[in-house]
Amino acid sequence: MIPKACVVLVLAGLLAGCSRSGSSAVAPAEVVVYASVDDVFSRPIVEKFEKDTGIKAKLVVDTEETKSTGLVNRLIAEKNRPQADVFWCGDPVRAALLKSKGVTAPYKSPQLEGMPLDFTDKEHHWIGFSARARIIIYNTNLVAKGEEPASVLDLLDARFKGKACMANPLFGTTSMHATALFAKLGDEKATNFFDGFSANGGKMLSSNGEVRRRVVNGEYAVGLTDTDDYNEAREEKKPVGAVYADAKGMGTVIVPNAVMMINGGPNPELGKKFIDYLLNPETEKALAESGAAQMPVRPGVPVPAHVTPLDKLTPMPLDYPQLAERLLKLADGYLDEWARKNAK
Amino acid sequence: MRNTLRTNSTGTWRWWGAIGIFGIALAPALPLFWQAFASRDGWLAGRGFPSALFNSFQVALAVAALSLLIGLPLGVATALYEFPGRGSLLAVVTMPILVPSFLWAIGWSALTAHLGPDVTAALSGHTGCVVVLLAAAIPLVLWVCHAATRNISGSQIEAARLAGGERTVLKYAIAHVAFSGVLVASLAGVLTLADPGPGLILGLRTAASEILTSFAARYDFNLAGRQCVYLTLAVLMLAIPMAIVAAPRLTAELLPRQVRSGQRSWHASVSWVLALGLFAVGLAFVILPWLGLSLPLTQSGHWSRALQEVRRTWLDTVIYAVGAGSIATILGFLLGFFAGKNHRLQVVSLGVALALFAIPPSQASLGVIYLSTNSPAWTDDLLRSRLTVCFALSIRFFPIAVVLGMRAWNSMSPSWAQAAYLHGVSPVRYGRMVVIPFLAPHAAIAGLLIALLATAEIGTVLLLQPPGHGSFPLAIFTVMANAPEGLVASLCFLYLVLATILLTGVFSLARRRLA
Repeated sequence: MIPKACVVLVLAGLLAGCSRSGSSAVAPAEVVVYASVDDVFSRPIVEKFEKDTGIKAKLVVDTEETKSTGLVNRLIAEKNRPQADVFWCGDPVRAALLKSKGVTAPYKSPQLEGMPLDFTDKEHHWIGFSARARIIIYNTNLVAKGEEPASVLDLLDARFKGKACMANPLFGTTSMHATALFAKLGDEKATNFFDGFSANGGKMLSSNGEVRRRVVNGEYAVGLTDTDDYNEAREEKKPVGAVYADAKGMGTVIVPNAVMMINGGPNPELGKKFIDYLLNPETEKALAESGAAQMPVRPGVPVPAHVTPLDKLTPMPLDYPQLAERLLKLADGYLDEWARKNAK
Repeated sequence: MRNTLRTNSTGTWRWWGAIGIFGIALAPALPLFWQAFASRDGWLAGRGFPSALFNSFQVALAVAALSLLIGLPLGVATALYEFPGRGSLLAVVTMPILVPSFLWAIGWSALTAHLGPDVTAALSGHTGCVVVLLAAAIPLVLWVCHAATRNISGSQIEAARLAGGERTVLKYAIAHVAFSGVLVASLAGVLTLADPGPGLILGLRTAASEILTSFAARYDFNLAGRQCVYLTLAVLMLAIPMAIVAAPRLTAELLPRQVRSGQRSWHASVSWVLALGLFAVGLAFVILPWLGLSLPLTQSGHWSRALQEVRRTWLDTVIYAVGAGSIATILGFLLGFFAGKNHRLQVVSLGVALALFAIPPSQASLGVIYLSTNSPAWTDDLLRSRLTVCFALSIRFFPIAVVLGMRAWNSMSPSWAQAAYLHGVSPVRYGRMVVIPFLAPHAAIAGLLIALLATAEIGTVLLLQPPGHGSFPLAIFTVMANAPEGLVASLCFLYLVLATILLTGVFSLARRRLA
């Protein structure tokens, strides 16, 4: 027979599950933050916010990289009575998508003063800050100096036959990059690029992290990924280098973080305080110094030597709301078909 | 219930009870199903879905067949024989039940990246998915066959041994547990249908990865809902014939049995072969991918950060596991009670339970979110709490409790209720003194198994966790993409060590109780 103590323990556990502390009923001095930015980068910032302001913050983290059903879906599903006050999104395309679905609320933060508005929604539904960039990572043992690719189109060269890789373009920042190529090059040239990539033996991998791993190991010579992935490999002293993709041509795809108020969130005032905190120069500096090596959007924020200031790059001019619309169409059309063909 | 005989009676109340339980289990998924078919898109499932569904069934079939082939003989032999390193080997082989499949997939991926492109190619697509998913399927089959073998009486084993030695014992035991083995292997196969991780990581378009793509890349809940329904219907079509075959066997287990189990014996060659077999399974399905996960530790570990994550999440992880195990067991055993000895109801219950197993957890979780979002704030303690997570996890795994519950109820002799009636024992007293003590060990096994499986489930926790209440596996999941490899490896290592300690503890407790 099961000891009575066990039964009592089980019941106690269940009661604990019912407790107020476990429920979403958030006390007034708490702000709920959903973040699709990696836990290792977002949690220290949130903890510092708690320390500096005395406001308790509850964090729910997911990352688009992991291809989960994830927080964007949760926010859409919770739209009528949201639990979150703020969504800290890893890219502006999902932010624009949430705006189009009526999930976000406008907020013009006082911290916007002095910030360039290129990466911010015109109606202030989301605000862009600290950015990553799309890069081509290469293995320095396999790509000789002077032979590095400069453009994504270089991945179609015979010298990279069977040696290039990218992540699944249906997900994460690769999907944004792919859609940006369609916007910039037009449908025909963009499809030629993807078809040419496959024809040249290019490999689709599961994630940007996987691209980094396989290039580091020398299985592939070059790959498309983000600056934070490259920085990870750089810090671990792996034999890799990186170039900003298309820095000298059509421009590099810049992926800023985007923070937004959730429409009807339980504690909007605290949400605003969190957004203000996130947009201050100190946070951008901290993100630049972290493993994410993100580029501050605000000019003049000091960055470590390995982080390129944004004003030294040529960003690809992008209309993020249009990109969001186009991404949905491509995800249901050409990119889906391409990913299906290249799945194995 | 006026007297104890009602527990044996038939009647429409059994059907209503079963419908009620299935209603509870299906309720969260229904809003999205309804929306999916009410939308303007009609009945479309997406271009690639049929081929993805075909891929999924190929993988599920291979997992079911191979897990039966490996798990059944190992389960029988571990129940009959002693062997060197018993506790450690069983703990290692069982560990994958506790670990999310995506971790094994990453482990294999990391390992093959070191071994070169040929190995990578060999372990991708169908083969890779089968290898990853087999890791958890084998221990499921192994333990169910182990438990079924322990039900064979000592005298039956001794008789078989006298008649033809160890070979006859093994043949007899395998024949005895084959039915349970096939059933649980099928369950393990169906379970793989809802898991998108290995397919995405190892490059195979499966039905679950298509559904995930509909959610996460297209944000099309309606398409995802329709795909879920088609997947469930496909499973139902296979599950009903299987249930028709299975149900009579459940009834057959009514036969009175001698309760004294056979003593495990030491047989030099069998024991060593068994130990080697378990070691080979542990090496192939656990140690190698674990090696892949741990490779970055040779360069750097992030132990303090990893321990901080354990401290932050352990309590919620335990609450979710215990809660899910308890609720699922209650629901499953209640359904077993309602199904009783009603053959048709048993068939329907088994078939529907198997089909429910195929519904991806994200579907039910999003349904719960819809329900909570459209309910008043005072329902939050029920719909937006840790209890909600426990409930959603429990309906994910309650089909296991259904199978074990039906088996447990069918093992009760109807004469006990008749005897209680003749002696004027009240139903409450009969329940307290006879039914609960009899069912408790079965319920404990079901609860433990579901708690272990629930620990490894991350999709549900991700979508339903109250802010600030994530689980430890979820913590790994959310850092694995871009965190330093050393941190991910440290977290995985700690998780696997904790899982090993937990399993070793459970085994030694079980052994002590048996002793």
